[in-house]
Amino acid sequence: MTAEDEEAGSSQFEQRTRELLLTSADALPGSVRSRLTQARHAALSVHSTNQAPSLARRWMPAGAMAGVILALFVVLAPHGSSNNPGGPSMEDVDMLTDSEALPLTGDQDVDYDFYEWAAEEAAGASSPAVGS
Amino acid sequence: MPETTHDGARALEAFLVGVERRAFRIAQIALSHEADALDVVQDAMLQLSTRYASRPAEEWKPLFYRILQNRIRDVQRRRSVRNRVMALMPWRGEDEDDEIDPIAQAVDKSPLPPSQLEGDEMLQALEQALNELPQRQREAFLLRNFEGLDVAETAAAMKCSQGSVKTHYFRALQALRSKLGEFRS
Repeated sequence: MTAEDEEAGSSQFEQRTRELLLTSADALPGSVRSRLTQARHAALSVHSTNQAPSLARRWMPAGAMAGVILALFVVLAPHGSSNNPGGPSMEDVDMLTDSEALPLTGDQDVDYDFYEWAAEEAAGASSPAVGS
Repeated sequence: MPETTHDGARALEAFLVGVERRAFRIAQIALSHEADALDVVQDAMLQLSTRYASRPAEEWKPLFYRILQNRIRDVQRRRSVRNRVMALMPWRGEDEDDEIDPIAQAVDKSPLPPSQLEGDEMLQALEQALNELPQRQREAFLLRNFEGLDVAETAAAMKCSQGSVKTHYFRALQALRSKLGEFRS
């Protein structure tokens, strides 16, 4: 048998087996065909359920976008106020939190007696003494 | 948008109608069990529609058959495990319905004479010969010959190279021809 004969025999054999199998698939009993139809409908109903988006699912992207925009606004808003002279700025915050700076309030530690004495001494030194 | 969805559903239905019977026969030949074959076809349909329906329609066929082959292998694996467990059970003899008749399962190794192969007998002989093939050879033969997938689609369905598909198919063809002889047209 030549290679060509072999090839022709193979293709004839392939064709014959294919015909047999296709015939058997077309001749399935009604009960099997019915079960296959049910299975198909079940698959298609799942498909259509997945395809129809719920209200929440439909609005989810818009909600997410709004959330991102709000977060950006909250984070970036304080930096923009440095141009606003009336509002608080980052410099103000720095001054208020700087522990090395002079106290802006509270003068409990000031020695007023010393300042009064120094003022009197200065006044006494500048005016000529009576009788001198 | 709803029109597109409707078109997609129609396309999917047409696809499933087109493949369901052949898919069932492939599963039935591999599993030799009608109910199991129906179950794996249903699973494959469901999985395709839930996970892959959004993919281009030309990809559906290889995807569907890959799912189907995976399901077939799952059933075969479960059976194998169950049989091994059952073999260890001391009371396994009580359930005689599950026992396999060795005479019925015996394989006649001699090629069947063409004159004896008529209609259903030919089909039975073919199914038996297909069932005796190694799994990958049977898959390659049924997908290429019966389902009509090309080499690339078969490779995608079997998750192997196109060269492997050709090798499996050629070996399956040789084995079937040697077992069945030539079918009479």
